[in-house]
Amino acid sequence: MSRLEHIRIPEPEKPLPGLTISSDQGLIQWLSSVDHKQIGIMYLWLSVLFILVGGIEILLVRIQLAVPNNHFLNPEVFNQLFTMHGTTMIFFVLAPAIFGFATYFVPLMIGANDMAFPRMNAFSFWCTLFGGLLLYFSYLAGGAPDAGWFNYAPLNQFSYSSSPGIDYYCSGLLLAGIGTVSASVNFIVTIFRLRVDGMGLKQMPVFVWMILINSFLILAAFPSLNAALVMLLLDRELHAHFFNPGNGGSALLWQHLFWLFGHPEVYILILPVFGIFSEVFPVFSRKPIFGYGFVVASGVAIALLAFGVWVHHMFATGLGNTVNNFFAASSLLIGVPTGVKIFNWLATMYGGSIRFSVAMLFAIAFLVEFTIGGLTGISFAIVPIDWQLTDTYYVVAHLHYVFIGGSLFGLISGIFYWYPKISGRMLSEKMGRWFFWLFVIGFNLTFLVQHALGAMGMPRRVYTYPDLPGWGILNMISSLGGGLMGIAVCLLVYMLFTSRKTGQIAGSDPWDANTLEWTTTSPPPLKNFNLVIPVRSTRPFRDWKRPDDTDWAREGVNNE
Amino acid sequence: MALLSHWHFDPLLILFVAALTVLYGFISRFRRPTNNWYFGSAVFFFLLATCSPLHFFGMHYYFSVYMVCHITLLLLCGPLLVMALPHKPSPFVTTRLKAFAASLSSHPWLLWFAGVGIMWFWHIPIVFDDSMGAMQSGFSIISSIHPLTMLAGGFLFSWPLFSPIENRQLHPLAGVLYLFTACISCSLLGLLITFAPAGTYHHYIGMANMPGRPWNISWQDDQQAAGLIMWVPCCFLYLTGCIYLLAHWFSAKSTNAGRRPETIKPLILHENGKK
Repeated sequence: MSRLEHIRIPEPEKPLPGLTISSDQGLIQWLSSVDHKQIGIMYLWLSVLFILVGGIEILLVRIQLAVPNNHFLNPEVFNQLFTMHGTTMIFFVLAPAIFGFATYFVPLMIGANDMAFPRMNAFSFWCTLFGGLLLYFSYLAGGAPDAGWFNYAPLNQFSYSSSPGIDYYCSGLLLAGIGTVSASVNFIVTIFRLRVDGMGLKQMPVFVWMILINSFLILAAFPSLNAALVMLLLDRELHAHFFNPGNGGSALLWQHLFWLFGHPEVYILILPVFGIFSEVFPVFSRKPIFGYGFVVASGVAIALLAFGVWVHHMFATGLGNTVNNFFAASSLLIGVPTGVKIFNWLATMYGGSIRFSVAMLFAIAFLVEFTIGGLTGISFAIVPIDWQLTDTYYVVAHLHYVFIGGSLFGLISGIFYWYPKISGRMLSEKMGRWFFWLFVIGFNLTFLVQHALGAMGMPRRVYTYPDLPGWGILNMISSLGGGLMGIAVCLLVYMLFTSRKTGQIAGSDPWDANTLEWTTTSPPPLKNFNLVIPVRSTRPFRDWKRPDDTDWAREGVNNE
Repeated sequence: MALLSHWHFDPLLILFVAALTVLYGFISRFRRPTNNWYFGSAVFFFLLATCSPLHFFGMHYYFSVYMVCHITLLLLCGPLLVMALPHKPSPFVTTRLKAFAASLSSHPWLLWFAGVGIMWFWHIPIVFDDSMGAMQSGFSIISSIHPLTMLAGGFLFSWPLFSPIENRQLHPLAGVLYLFTACISCSLLGLLITFAPAGTYHHYIGMANMPGRPWNISWQDDQQAAGLIMWVPCCFLYLTGCIYLLAHWFSAKSTNAGRRPETIKPLILHENGKK
């Protein structure tokens, strides 16, 4: 029995309600859904909800920091806000958005009708949602967590943080972590078992490859975080002493366990985005991806290297020169496979017939912003520079250039690229360009100056600062930039809402794209495919549309 | 310069190398197969790790140097020996190689455990200290068994990846997983040695005040360096293996195995908008 026959299973034929809840069954259809597209959409809305919440939190922080000696917020509230902002953005904005795109598009891109385990797919989403709600319930339960997003010991111990916030941090992240791990298992099985007949691993879209690699990365990295969270809960609730040096525990152990997860987490949040760019660049350059094998292999290399460099987050903890030197060298190396990818995308654009759509604009901007983030990251591999700059605003700038300039730019590019497929409507390119410039200018105003602030010695996570030369004006610029970003995000959310009904009809293939998701209607019916076009290269839809100029014929791949 | 004069040729090991060379010559029909430089390299590295001043330094002065010898035996000599096996040996050898490959390849996880297990076993502190003590006390069978088991471990571990019988090799992606899990195991061992209390390996505490000990590195730093060598460069060797496998896989021409184009019919697209 071929795989094609495998996917011919009896399923409801009723169309999906699109992005609205106005169906005959209303909200219950969403709450009870096990359809990968609906669950993917819910992941994406979850991400939108939390980006607004996390955005408001950081705008309050930026108002506090806009001028020296400000008392708009008190220190306790300030600690809670920056902790919740970081935790929210990483665990409940970037991660769910990635899972949303993956849940929606992986089955479509491999020619399947759903994920391998649809109910587990729903379980993963609801775990993530309730994890987020549990984290935010801390505000009602007596106070939010306040020890930073990486929650260092001994600050996470009861004697330093007696409100229940950190207990909710542990419970919420643990629950979301279970959802993340189960989703990864689901992706792996789906990709290995449900690919349409003809799609070998070498014909898989790069996005699917990156999700596959990412899923293995998650399975290897998350147990460390989950174990650490359980140990911390035991410390706080049952008076265990894992992280309490006063009773034989080790505060550094938390850092090891956290960064054993935390450094791979950086790649967990960037590899799928590399996959998105590897779809966007070829489509809008009208060329195949340059060096498909290199792009995939460098993804594998990044995933493997991710576990060999986490100690560079701990250079300032006194591990000794021997340890520092080894990890300095290994950390410098990780720039190589990432650099390979950047050149792959540049080479994809080179000589192409480029269309500067908003998705492509964000992809191009990513090349600049992420390279800045990468270079500042490399500077942290040099131990004396790390000692000088650690825990300053330079780190804040670096991580935002990676997470925003890298991950978020990629996700936004993905929104503009795939929104027509999800909703059946186009996002306005004109408003999209306004959004692009507002966001990019706002982003650089906010974070570029923070490099200078960090180099001048301004520590991160201080609720206010003295009126030292230059600090006031640079912080004001940073806060104004944050405001611009806030306006831009509101514009994006407005576009997402209004375009559902008023956007131009998209059609099934508005971008003249390459992969299987564009062969079905926009939005796709409940059952994605009845029949799937032949797959003989990484651009099957293009091959199908241009039978005289197919990739597989040009590359001499013998499929007959 | 006096340090560089510390060559020590264990008769048993020299006998082993001679026997191995004869055996390899027999397998390759005493011709010069294209991959015989792998064999030459394997023998060179083996002698370097067991007879050279590197070995002497590792035995008497520095754990970190000894770790380099371990990795050389396990992750360089073992794979090089497997890669040295000729792809077209005599029919007599082919039959036996195929039988050997069949017996080994049916349970690759056992071979994984052989490689990883031997590495862990020799680094259990009590085993390590006793074996080093025995080796230092003069001629000892341990001094031969120790490197030979490391070499055998490396050979067995590498077999599923580089077996000369190609249809007995692991799929390259399975090979990546095979190496990656070994890398994690290796990292754990390195991590344990790095962060274990200084002096966990007693042998080198006693050596700290030996006359003629070069470089004056403390035994605490030395133990950390040993663990880090196991952890970081060792993992890069595994990673290099992964990239090698991936590169070969991507460069191999696609086949239509498992494809049935006749079962795939074109989808009728819904043309309800612009393309």
